[in-house]
Amino acid sequence: MNNNHHFSSYEQLSNTWDEMYSNNAEIRTPYETIIQYLKNTSKETLIKKEELSKQLFMSQGVTFTVYSDNEGIEKIFPFDIVPRIITAIEWDIIERGIKQRIKALNLFIKDIYNEQFIINDGIVPADLIYNCPNYLREMKGIKVPHDIYVHIAGVDLIRNNDGEFYVLEDNLRTPSGVSYMLENREISKRLYPGILPRNNVRSVANYPNLLYKKLQELSYHKNPNMVLLTPGIYNSAYYEHTTLARLMGIELVEGSDLVVKNHFVYMKTTNGLKQVDIIYRRVDDDFLDPLEFNATSVLGVAGIMAAYRKGNVNIINAPGTGVADDKATYVYVPDMIKYYLNEEPILKNIKTYQLSRPDELEHVIENIKTMVIKKTDGSGGYGMLMGHEASDEEIKDYLDTVRKNPSAFIAQTILKLSTAPCYINGELSPRCIDLRPFALSGKDGIDICPGALTRVALKKGSLVVNSSQGGGSKDTWVIQ
Amino acid sequence: MLSRVANNLIWLERYMERGNGIISLLKVNFYANQDSPELFSWTPIIQNYNASSEKIHTEDAIECIEYMVFNTSNPNSILNLVTKARENARSVQEHISREMWLCINNYYLYLIRKDLIRKLKEEDPIVFLDELKKYHLMYNGTMDLTQERGSSYYFMNVGKFLERVIQISDFTAMKLIEIAKTSDSLEQSFYWKNLLLSVGGYQLYLKTHKSSFQENHIIRMIFQDKLFPRSMYYCVNKLSRHINKLIEINELEKNNTEFLLGKLESTIKYTTIDGINEQGLNHFISDIKEDIKNISLSINTVYFSHSN
Repeated sequence: MNNNHHFSSYEQLSNTWDEMYSNNAEIRTPYETIIQYLKNTSKETLIKKEELSKQLFMSQGVTFTVYSDNEGIEKIFPFDIVPRIITAIEWDIIERGIKQRIKALNLFIKDIYNEQFIINDGIVPADLIYNCPNYLREMKGIKVPHDIYVHIAGVDLIRNNDGEFYVLEDNLRTPSGVSYMLENREISKRLYPGILPRNNVRSVANYPNLLYKKLQELSYHKNPNMVLLTPGIYNSAYYEHTTLARLMGIELVEGSDLVVKNHFVYMKTTNGLKQVDIIYRRVDDDFLDPLEFNATSVLGVAGIMAAYRKGNVNIINAPGTGVADDKATYVYVPDMIKYYLNEEPILKNIKTYQLSRPDELEHVIENIKTMVIKKTDGSGGYGMLMGHEASDEEIKDYLDTVRKNPSAFIAQTILKLSTAPCYINGELSPRCIDLRPFALSGKDGIDICPGALTRVALKKGSLVVNSSQGGGSKDTWVIQ
Repeated sequence: MLSRVANNLIWLERYMERGNGIISLLKVNFYANQDSPELFSWTPIIQNYNASSEKIHTEDAIECIEYMVFNTSNPNSILNLVTKARENARSVQEHISREMWLCINNYYLYLIRKDLIRKLKEEDPIVFLDELKKYHLMYNGTMDLTQERGSSYYFMNVGKFLERVIQISDFTAMKLIEIAKTSDSLEQSFYWKNLLLSVGGYQLYLKTHKSSFQENHIIRMIFQDKLFPRSMYYCVNKLSRHINKLIEINELEKNNTEFLLGKLESTIKYTTIDGINEQGLNHFISDIKEDIKNISLSINTVYFSHSN
């Protein structure tokens, strides 16, 4: 049986890298096995598989809740059944590139909160740091174990039309999505029995063990009491928090389960107070400690920062890492790599314009139709202006806001995100994707799980892959 | 164990057990109501479980079952109970077996299926209730087979048997109100038989006492039988066993839980049937309820005592 019609309406976007088809419309080698499988499978079967994937997500409770009108609606993060494939050669570049970047960024954070050599040497301007809302004075001079600030990073990459990977964003605070990397793989095993081993897909199942090991090594205790701090059941990543806690075998705690006494952190148990050594927190800096940051926060623990400063508890990632993944800081990452490591960056940055510089602002305004403007402290794909699809009025309004405080914005040329085949309405169509691998830093260096979260902009022609705005995800196969 | 987790485990089980009991009650009342609607009206059941201000005036069996299963403003509707049980289970996933979580989650997903109300309205209501019951049976079996015996298991069982004890007193008290309204001994025997059915002891009663319904035999079976798993005696014994396990492994302070439990145990064991009749079953039950309330409060302090 041959179901070529799955492909009949596959229209490649112009001037865009397609992950499955080469420029002369031939299937790229790594995709051959899965494409052959799809060709041998009827439309009805594929639709059934799609349905099965939805059921599996629901019945495992892999959902997030959207609240409106006081009513919570549980949703699944849309999953596309066609995997995204990365070759060993491509992975090698990504892996080396991310390790290099995280190494430099970690040195940068240490430097910024201590001697500030990079500012004194004139590489990074001082006002960039002090204007950054994510810079935490409270972190100045704190000695963190093994000088590691960023234990877990989820660097967002995209593949441009030249076929190369570019860094879109370094997520160094509390990056999420790793549970989908794990869950998507479990679903693929059910959807395509036998296909994974035939493709020599590298396993991602070791991630929780690796994370546990990396965090455990930070403590001087042999058996540290490690907990995962969640903002609670109403957080959209709650599923991820429960999954990681379960798979790592550690306690899932909420702020109200913890208490600080004499600069030690304890959890309230049926057996009295029990000391906590390591906190993998999924609560943002701002909510971590009402005594030092947002005073109205009930998600954090009063006094936790004081305990941290005394070295009595370890907070993962360290507070204040946001100073390094800010969009304004992003521009300087290639310089940091040269400065700290004396190396050429392996992964490229996207050409970025700083709107506080009048000449760059002018250039951006002249070429506005090919630009995207972002807030330096924005995330989740909100507050952006996409020049090619905005009306003249929208552009005018946005630029007015930019002119009021230009240093709070950056602009980038709109990139051609690569496309991958997605099974949509019974046929394969190309959709834009990105890639978020997860890097773990510990005392013996950085390890990257051979897999990633591939996010998909499910709307035709859209470049926004964020889950809050119509994005979905794919299983990501790194093949040997 | 985190105090919050212990509390969630207790309530997870209380909600599940309550759901299970209510489904049995609905099923038994449906049959009885079809036979003699004047004796087995739906109002007492709805009044007992509906804590909301909303007043329900209907004696239509399907509407009443719908209210008790699906209505979201009724805090004790099966849907609300399972939703709350699931929320509790969700937040203690690393403490309960994976299989238990899947079981509760699938029960919840079944209950929110859009076509389920139609199933109740258009098909056999007993099949409908049996389907729900199956989820409880599966849940209890899953717990028994997959949950390790340790603090989580003991806390869950504390919740389960606490709820079961409350249920036995509630079911009995509800029937006593009806019994008091009539002096016809045949009618009274119908109520007693109905009570046996509701707590699931009818078959055992027939095996033991044949088809002759004597008040004293029934009271003794429901309150004092050592082998009937839904007797007050049996459940208090189990409750005590799991509380003692928790005290043994230092998960529960001795405080006065142990004392209160001992007091309740001896009341149930050593009050003779004549003693019960002398003070009146109503009085006997309300004493038991008071004791249970105090035990429950005393266990709650586990959760609150470390909160500062």
